[in-house]
Amino acid sequence: MQTSESTTSGMRAMYQRRMLEIRGAFEAGASGVATIAARSDALDTLVRGLWREAVEQDTRLKTGIALVALGGYGRRELFPYSDMDLLFLLDGRLAEKQVKDAIRRVNQEMWDSGIRVSPATRKLAECERFDEDNAEFAVSLLDHRLVTGDAALYGKLSGQVVPKLLQRDHKAMTARLLDLTRARHAKYGDTLFHLEPSIKDCPGGLRDVHVCGWMTKLHDGGAQVLKNGSATAAELAEDWNEFGKAVEFLWLVRCFLHYRHERDDNTLDWQAQDAAAAAAVGLSGQGPEGADAGYWMRFYFRYARSVQRRVMQAMEESAAKAPSMLLGLRRERRVETVQPGFRVERGRVNFDEVAVGGYDPAQDPDVVLQVFQAMARTGCTLGRDAEERVSRALPLLSAHLEEGPGLWHHLQGVLTGPQAGDALRAMHALGVLELLIPEFHGIDALVIRDAYHRYTVDEHTFVLIDTLHGLETAQKGPMAEWAARFGGVMRELPHPGLLYLAALMHDTGKGRSGGDHAQESMRMAESVVARLELDAYESDLVMSLIANHLEMSAALRRDIFDVETVRAFAGKVHTPEALRMLMLFTYADINAVHPDALTPWKAENLWRLYIATANYLDRSVDDERVGPQEESELIHRVTALLPGQKTAVREFLEGFPERYVLTRTPEQVRTHFQMAGRFAEDAVQLDFRYAPGVSELTLVTRDRPQLFANIAGALAAWGMNIVTADAFSNRQGVVVDSFRFTDSFRTLEMNASEHGAFVKSVHDVMTEAISLEKLLSGRRRGRKKSPLVVVETRVEFDDKASSHSTLLEVIAQDTTGLLRALSLTLAGQGCNIEVALVDTEGETAIDVFYLTRNGAKLDAESETELRRALMTAVEENASR
Amino acid sequence: MQKIEAVIQPSKLDAVKDALVEVGVEGMTITEARGHGRQKGHTEFYRGREYSVDLLPKVKLELVVADDMLEKAIQAITTAARTGTIGDGKIFVSKIDEAIRIRNDERGEIAL
Repeated sequence: MQTSESTTSGMRAMYQRRMLEIRGAFEAGASGVATIAARSDALDTLVRGLWREAVEQDTRLKTGIALVALGGYGRRELFPYSDMDLLFLLDGRLAEKQVKDAIRRVNQEMWDSGIRVSPATRKLAECERFDEDNAEFAVSLLDHRLVTGDAALYGKLSGQVVPKLLQRDHKAMTARLLDLTRARHAKYGDTLFHLEPSIKDCPGGLRDVHVCGWMTKLHDGGAQVLKNGSATAAELAEDWNEFGKAVEFLWLVRCFLHYRHERDDNTLDWQAQDAAAAAAVGLSGQGPEGADAGYWMRFYFRYARSVQRRVMQAMEESAAKAPSMLLGLRRERRVETVQPGFRVERGRVNFDEVAVGGYDPAQDPDVVLQVFQAMARTGCTLGRDAEERVSRALPLLSAHLEEGPGLWHHLQGVLTGPQAGDALRAMHALGVLELLIPEFHGIDALVIRDAYHRYTVDEHTFVLIDTLHGLETAQKGPMAEWAARFGGVMRELPHPGLLYLAALMHDTGKGRSGGDHAQESMRMAESVVARLELDAYESDLVMSLIANHLEMSAALRRDIFDVETVRAFAGKVHTPEALRMLMLFTYADINAVHPDALTPWKAENLWRLYIATANYLDRSVDDERVGPQEESELIHRVTALLPGQKTAVREFLEGFPERYVLTRTPEQVRTHFQMAGRFAEDAVQLDFRYAPGVSELTLVTRDRPQLFANIAGALAAWGMNIVTADAFSNRQGVVVDSFRFTDSFRTLEMNASEHGAFVKSVHDVMTEAISLEKLLSGRRRGRKKSPLVVVETRVEFDDKASSHSTLLEVIAQDTTGLLRALSLTLAGQGCNIEVALVDTEGETAIDVFYLTRNGAKLDAESETELRRALMTAVEENASR
Repeated sequence: MQKIEAVIQPSKLDAVKDALVEVGVEGMTITEARGHGRQKGHTEFYRGREYSVDLLPKVKLELVVADDMLEKAIQAITTAARTGTIGDGKIFVSKIDEAIRIRNDERGEIAL
């Protein structure tokens, strides 16, 4: 007499009860691993029971057939509503038609119990063959487990057939698995940062966890399988703690989603995110109950990122063993390098072994930062061992890290490398980025929950940086034309590193609640630029770019053909260099919101606003001057630095173009004011700031003929190439001329002792103690470089831009001594330079002068004469 | 039912959208467009190079409204988009025979 529990309906009822118990346990706090193993065990019981009945009815089934769990069921990872893969394995003795009815009955019973079973019937010999078109079956065979039936037959499958399959076909299987995985990733835009991700199929999802396991098993022709039998993801996870936590989290969340949706639906939609956050699913004491969904999603993204990193690594490692494949080919082409402390082999970075004295290069910040620079430069990736060594070394790296120019040098090296985005992602994932810039931590995996944003804030930042680098290479598609045009501007930036630094920091303020995030980001960047010891000009550029990073997008929503829109926008950017950077930044920022956000229409409007503003900046300077009673925030800030001298400061500032005040920090204005106060001791005051890239020299003196020409000449004589310059004067005739220049022959870089001689020489030229001509004649013996791009000389006059000056714009090939030649010609024609704005874009010099002659605008005749003289001067200078 | 197509200045989009929502129109399709009518393009100079701006940026709105809503919608658009200068844009109105909501096959004005 059979007990009721052993009858078919009894077994079904017991299974249903067990399912309810498992659900109850899950809701009471059972882990993901316990839940999926429990369901798997419950199914085992059911399958065994059903099969026992079948065997009782037909004893021929006692041998020659085995019921084998495959795939997730094989791994004992069966989620509440997942389907189950069950293999009915036959040896040659039993014919398929003899077992057909029994198999159908078992499957039928399971379907009737609400279980979605995917049955397969195969003869042992059929399992040996790898079928490209049904790779899924071969892959599912990697996770096999006997449920019931002929154990000896199963022993042949696990001991002979599967190892043989792997030995023979592991390469083909690996290749197919790589293809399938890449296609799946591509379907999700190759990013894990989706608003409503599928936690199974998205990059960084559970399917990738399985891929990691399969890749390990496929390594070395399946040696791993021979040794370990069925290694589960949990076993693999022990190798890597963070990965293990991620897997456990994903298991838990998938169980949660299945119970919530009551079907095999793995989409983490917004409602599910709210519910998961409210129940603090997977936070296990790390977060508050009833947390907000954005907070909870940060955990999800962090874990998914860790899985994605692991799967990419597994794929790279596997592709390396299949050299004919695309990934392998790409790596072969990568640069191989050996540097102190590490080497790059086949596209992977490995640290040198720990030295006898105990020196570990992975603990040396210089070496580690060189590694990330190499990654940014060449696109190589970290080997798993290298990653682990960096992770372990973090506390020591933190202790040894030196801030200041050295750190900026390294960081700049990373930021400006063509693969900076990937290098930064790796730094971020390992915690190195937060070590250098703790301010970045606040936006780690931070979600902006609106339908417009596709990525988390940190990923948005990296995509933005990727977009900027993308401008440097030719592109395809509808944006190609615009990318080329913006890319031209990108290549001409004198300080691209500063743009990238601003990009890295621009949204860090989003990590703090409330307020204007641009201002908050700027405040956070303040301490970063101070730690990197950027000079005043560089800091100012970075900070203003961050503070204004939404201004150009905002201006695009106004009428960009309206001069008021342009004027208001120009008032915020102040200088052409800041404008160029902001335009490029805005382009990349829009593109990094989501893949379709940037359209040719938007790029065109951005470009138009840029042109209009650039023209406005050059043409409006002369008319906007500081008035005698002007009250502005900057004037207050300057007077605050000079207590008791308010009247004198106001007198000094009166008559300067507003551009002067707007483009200087209050500290710089104070320095200039104090220099002007020392005219009694020395009428020529010079302030020299050396920097390895671009140095700056400021001259404060009384206006006189040929002043600009002489100082430009003195710089040319020393081989200095002027990048930007401006010259402003106040109502009293005090001139502030600033020159920013590069040291073409590295004279100042190689000889620190020459700094004093350089300043003295410029001073002597200005006081006429030495002859400029003599100084220049020595210089002209230097070798001349042939230009890469030939720039046609253009001389344009504009009488309408200013109310009392004539605007002259000269576009010419940038050659040493050009500015001297131009300004000398102007002086020779009796022209007074009211304002000079000198700029360089790559090999093009763009020099704008506001001129008067005898206090008035130039007439048509003198313009013609001047044009001729300038064309000749440019030509003569170029041929020298 | 009537279909309204309005070509307006991009800078007026937000104002027009708000005005339409105010009178009870909530669904619309917006397309980034370029074009010119009597407001011809012009030429810009930048750094010694010439850029012609022959097609100006515009935004095109398309909306279908019930007959009795037509005048209100037109009024909302013209009021919000008008600056009184050349280039403010145009509105075109045409008759619609049928509207069908794909989700549930509703037809006619109820599907709008």
